[in-house]
Amino acid sequence: MSTRGDWTGYAWAAGATAICTLVGLAMRDRFDLVNVAMVYMLAVVAIALRYSRGPAILTSLLCVAAFDYLFVPPWGAFSIDDVQYLFTFVVMLAVAVVISELVDRVRRHAQAQAALEIEAETERIRSALLASVSHDLRTPLAVLSGASSTLAESGERMSAEERRALATSLFRQSRELSEHVAKVLQMARLETGTIQPERDWATIGEIAATVLDRLAERLSKHRLIVDLPDDLPLVRVDATLIEQALVNLLENAAMHTPAGTVVRLRAQRRGHELLVSVEDFGGGLPEGDGERVFAKFHRHSSEGIGGIGLGLSICRAIVRLHGGLVWAERVPGGGAAFRFTLPIEEAPTVPAESAGD
Amino acid sequence: MTEARPVVLVVEDEPEIRRFLHAALGADGYRVVGSATGHRGSIDAATHKPDLAIVDLGLPDFDGIEVIRRIRAWSPMPILVLSARVQERSKIEALDAGADDYVTKPFGIGELLARVRVALRHAFRAGSGEHILRFGGATVDLEKRTARRGDSEVRLTPIEFRLLGCLATHLGMVVTHRQLLTEVWGPSHHQDTHYLRIYMKQLRTKLENDPVRPRHLMTETGVGYRLVADE
Repeated sequence: MSTRGDWTGYAWAAGATAICTLVGLAMRDRFDLVNVAMVYMLAVVAIALRYSRGPAILTSLLCVAAFDYLFVPPWGAFSIDDVQYLFTFVVMLAVAVVISELVDRVRRHAQAQAALEIEAETERIRSALLASVSHDLRTPLAVLSGASSTLAESGERMSAEERRALATSLFRQSRELSEHVAKVLQMARLETGTIQPERDWATIGEIAATVLDRLAERLSKHRLIVDLPDDLPLVRVDATLIEQALVNLLENAAMHTPAGTVVRLRAQRRGHELLVSVEDFGGGLPEGDGERVFAKFHRHSSEGIGGIGLGLSICRAIVRLHGGLVWAERVPGGGAAFRFTLPIEEAPTVPAESAGD
Repeated sequence: MTEARPVVLVVEDEPEIRRFLHAALGADGYRVVGSATGHRGSIDAATHKPDLAIVDLGLPDFDGIEVIRRIRAWSPMPILVLSARVQERSKIEALDAGADDYVTKPFGIGELLARVRVALRHAFRAGSGEHILRFGGATVDLEKRTARRGDSEVRLTPIEFRLLGCLATHLGMVVTHRQLLTEVWGPSHHQDTHYLRIYMKQLRTKLENDPVRPRHLMTETGVGYRLVADE
């Protein structure tokens, strides 16, 4: 447990004692002293459950002291001549130690369990990565070496048109390959925490414009609707990362919905956060897939659809890095909406300036 | 005409990349000088006096940024940076050190040749006193401080004029946030990116045909802005 956590624990030990004392004082006229002691016991149990052994022991000490000083006659003085209150102290101390020991054990067990789960997850990802690398990278590589060797060895016997077609497919496949590799690398960097977001003030409108520019070709077969109100606030984000997140969402929509359908990009203010949505009107989400689609290497349908199943997990990692939420939901009328939020912080002001000369 | 061919210096350690740059630039009418190290590149720049330099940022002996600094110490020749790094920072550092534009690896040759053309045209045009800017439906006279979009007059604020002027002096090329903020608002404001966000939005609303999908006042995410005029 961190130092800061420890200090909070000790602070709460004092706080809980104070609260119980107030409750005890209110009870004093109508209840037996034993019941007041029970209230203090409650504090000891609560602190032992929530914090480590140190704060729990301190609570039992403080509680017995307060109980003895304020409630056991003579009031306003310490007297432990009465053996039964010494007994109260010992019991409280025992409760504190036993409970914090139990809690500690449960906590350790949970940690071990979590570590095991992470290990299993890592193993799953590793094999998925291998599968993905071998399938998705091998195909473009086969095209690259096939087409380029064809050009090198029999290019002279081909028409200019054929040569151009081969060269164009080389270019396209290499682009695709480099994007695959970039995604695998980015996911790895996001996972290991190598990426530190460089936050600065940005507008979602500007980011969206760049994204739509980058995706102009891939979205050309869809009907795009952009709905960005004029008065959206600035957000403090790593614009490069958010751009990537948005690219991945739109790419995903374009990839999984038929040509001619609508893809809508929306952003709106919702309280203290900015809600960004990419909605499509294609097949919708498979049942119960709201969370699973974000899993690494998850693929919505089997073959024939490009991408390596990392786009959405990268998107999720990026949004989480910014303290936002990301989720998918069905859209009435048979479609899917992928939404994420970004916290809105108060933007610094820009000095006003009047138009004129 | 052979003598008039512009000379391009390519400082790049990967022989395969030098090879295709050589082929593509040669086919486009340039004479190419290739250097495999930063040290060699700095010397070649001085002896060959190229019209433009293409510098890779990941050189084996010393950083491409150092090459840029050495060239900038004596020459205003346009410098393009090839950056393989995903991290924006080295790109920005290179631009702030005096590079004029960048191309991220892997790139299509069309993209690179277009950047080379813009940079050479810029070098040719610099100091020509051109002060009328035309893009999309907008016409801006930076000297008389008037602006029109289509048939109607548009009123720009003094800061908007300064910002546009700063972008116009690097027409077609990227200008970093820091450069814009320092030139328009002063060195103490070099981190106030929010100023740029607000003012670029205003400029787009006033001058772009579709401010939501700008075609001329372009964002280079994480780096800066680029003013793209009509061809």
